[in-house]
Amino acid sequence: MAQNPFPLGKDELLKAYRTMRTIREFEERLHVDFAKGDIPGFVHLYAGEEACATGIMMHLNDNDRIASTHRGHGHCIAKGVDVHAMMAEIYGRSTGACRGKGGSMHIADLSKGMMGANGILGAGAPLICGAALAAKVRGDRGVGITFVGDGASNQGTFLESLNLAAVWNLPVVFVVENNGYAESTAMEWAVSCDSYVDRATGFGMPGVTVDGTDFFAVYEAAGEIIRRARDGGGPALLECNMVRFYGHFEGDAQTYRAKGELEAIRASRDCLTILSERVIEAGVIGRDELQAIDREVNGLIEDAVRAAKAAPLPVAEDLLRDVYVAY
Amino acid sequence: MAPVVGIVANPVSARDIRRVVANATSLQIADRANILLRVLAALHACGVRDVLMMPENGGIRAHVERGLMRARGNGTSRGEDIYPALHTVAMPVTGTVADTHRATAEMRRAGVSALVVLGGDGTHRAVAAECGTVPIAGISTGTNNAFPEHREPTITGLATGLAVTGRVPPHIAFAANKRIDVSLNSGASGGTVTDMALVDVALVTERYIGARALWRTENFRELYVTFADPEVIGMSAIAGLLEPVGRDESGGLMVRLSPDRETRGDCRKGITTLHAPIAPGMMARVGITDWRRMPAGVAFVPEVAAGSVALDGERELSFTERDRLSLTLRDDAFRTVNVAAVMRHAGQYRLLTGTPVPVTAAF
Repeated sequence: MAQNPFPLGKDELLKAYRTMRTIREFEERLHVDFAKGDIPGFVHLYAGEEACATGIMMHLNDNDRIASTHRGHGHCIAKGVDVHAMMAEIYGRSTGACRGKGGSMHIADLSKGMMGANGILGAGAPLICGAALAAKVRGDRGVGITFVGDGASNQGTFLESLNLAAVWNLPVVFVVENNGYAESTAMEWAVSCDSYVDRATGFGMPGVTVDGTDFFAVYEAAGEIIRRARDGGGPALLECNMVRFYGHFEGDAQTYRAKGELEAIRASRDCLTILSERVIEAGVIGRDELQAIDREVNGLIEDAVRAAKAAPLPVAEDLLRDVYVAY
Repeated sequence: MAPVVGIVANPVSARDIRRVVANATSLQIADRANILLRVLAALHACGVRDVLMMPENGGIRAHVERGLMRARGNGTSRGEDIYPALHTVAMPVTGTVADTHRATAEMRRAGVSALVVLGGDGTHRAVAAECGTVPIAGISTGTNNAFPEHREPTITGLATGLAVTGRVPPHIAFAANKRIDVSLNSGASGGTVTDMALVDVALVTERYIGARALWRTENFRELYVTFADPEVIGMSAIAGLLEPVGRDESGGLMVRLSPDRETRGDCRKGITTLHAPIAPGMMARVGITDWRRMPAGVAFVPEVAAGSVALDGERELSFTERDRLSLTLRDDAFRTVNVAAVMRHAGQYRLLTGTPVPVTAAF
């Protein structure tokens, strides 16, 4: 076996691949099952963007908090939320992470530091400022990561949170997942300053742009930014330029894309392919080892769907349960 | 025929991790557009009436066009056009370095007299790969920027305008520059050049490209520079603080760095410890084993068996024990506008007064 040239050991590389493959399989299965009409509500798929969530979350522990978006499945899986509980939640079953009452856009698991996907654009940023303030007051070296799309980065909540985090020097990382489209509107039509790093600079914090389809680029940059935040260095912004393999939502005809655009990004910018080719070429991991993970993940997703379909739906009495929480 | 000047402005330079691991600058898009407006005004003042620009979706051109529109609309130009007409190269935008390559090639084919380049060392490298004999006028908007000299862009625009309108003799207006060609697995016949660097080639032990920038000095192994300038930052500074080599001298410098973290800062025999500015605001100790001149035209085969090749401060290629790597410095590889010489000449011969001394009369 060749010497490992990467910044992670073999076990960690396998873990990264497993996480990314799990997200991909999870989303591919939802794509199929949603089209069949098996899933209630709405889903927004993270397929194609796996390197971003995984490269960042590899640096976090359960004490670190994240606040996600409407496209949150990948963040949940990378943060360690149980895949069976997620699938059951999306299927609206009482065994779901939120007892089947949240659905795709409201999966949360505080035990894993996952504060929730969020159907309100830009709503995660102020939440994570609160979590980061708590970590700072407690002095437990916890950090908060909030994800936002290129479209939601125009929301006042996001911009106010940048200001707050800078003023209070909070251990927050603002991750802009720039997949080029705010729903169907290309970024150049909707974002005045044209660069998210410029936005960060305007609030007095550093901003960094990386290729979000390159796991190692995200991993390396996120590592430095998170370490800085953990050590008291304050907030920063990380822009990941990435691609989504499906529409804004399931059922989106994607007429806003150029002819051949989707085929081109699937062929040349698939983060899973990029990662697997690199580790195989370096001789660190064998193709058979990755294929074994693929089979294992396939089985996991299949079992999660089977279990979700077999689980009971919430009952009418559940409607008023967990509405208020006692502190 | 009136000269046309090309402009390549990179909207994505100055965005890498050195904003976090160091305190590198983040030049905003609007500032880049302001720089271009200053250059355009200076070019127009010298008689350049048409400018050809690379298209991009990063916002620079939109801000420039807004600036032109406002100048014409709000009366600051007092009824006169103070800017050249702005044309855009007709090509698709990919948002990658391929845009710079293609735009440069298109502009060269279109017959531009010079290329004004806004970006860091990486952008200038991409332009130099395709510009042929068209001279480059570089403006620093990147991170380390050893190649483009730091100067007010208005002056760079003026010098470019004076040079391309023939008001300064070519032997004064333009300077020759060096480059290092990097060859990976070339055949016995010499093969093809894989890539090249304008300032430095650094061999580091990381074998992944990742966040591209160089800042972990413990991984530095070998360094090859076209010029070793103690006034710049980055890899060239390491060489420059050992043995300065000018941009206008033939050849460069090769430096071997200590692979052993424990030797850093000690006085073990054979190791020189250098305190160098390897990134903006980032001073680091690097162990130096030895250094020597790198003559032009001589292929150097590195001792490092595997790692990454960083070109002008960014990891670009990875190589293994199975790969054959060689580096060759070339003198007189491409041309730049010699801004200092042009402006000195402009002053000596009062080119910007009402009745400048004709160039022919000056010789």
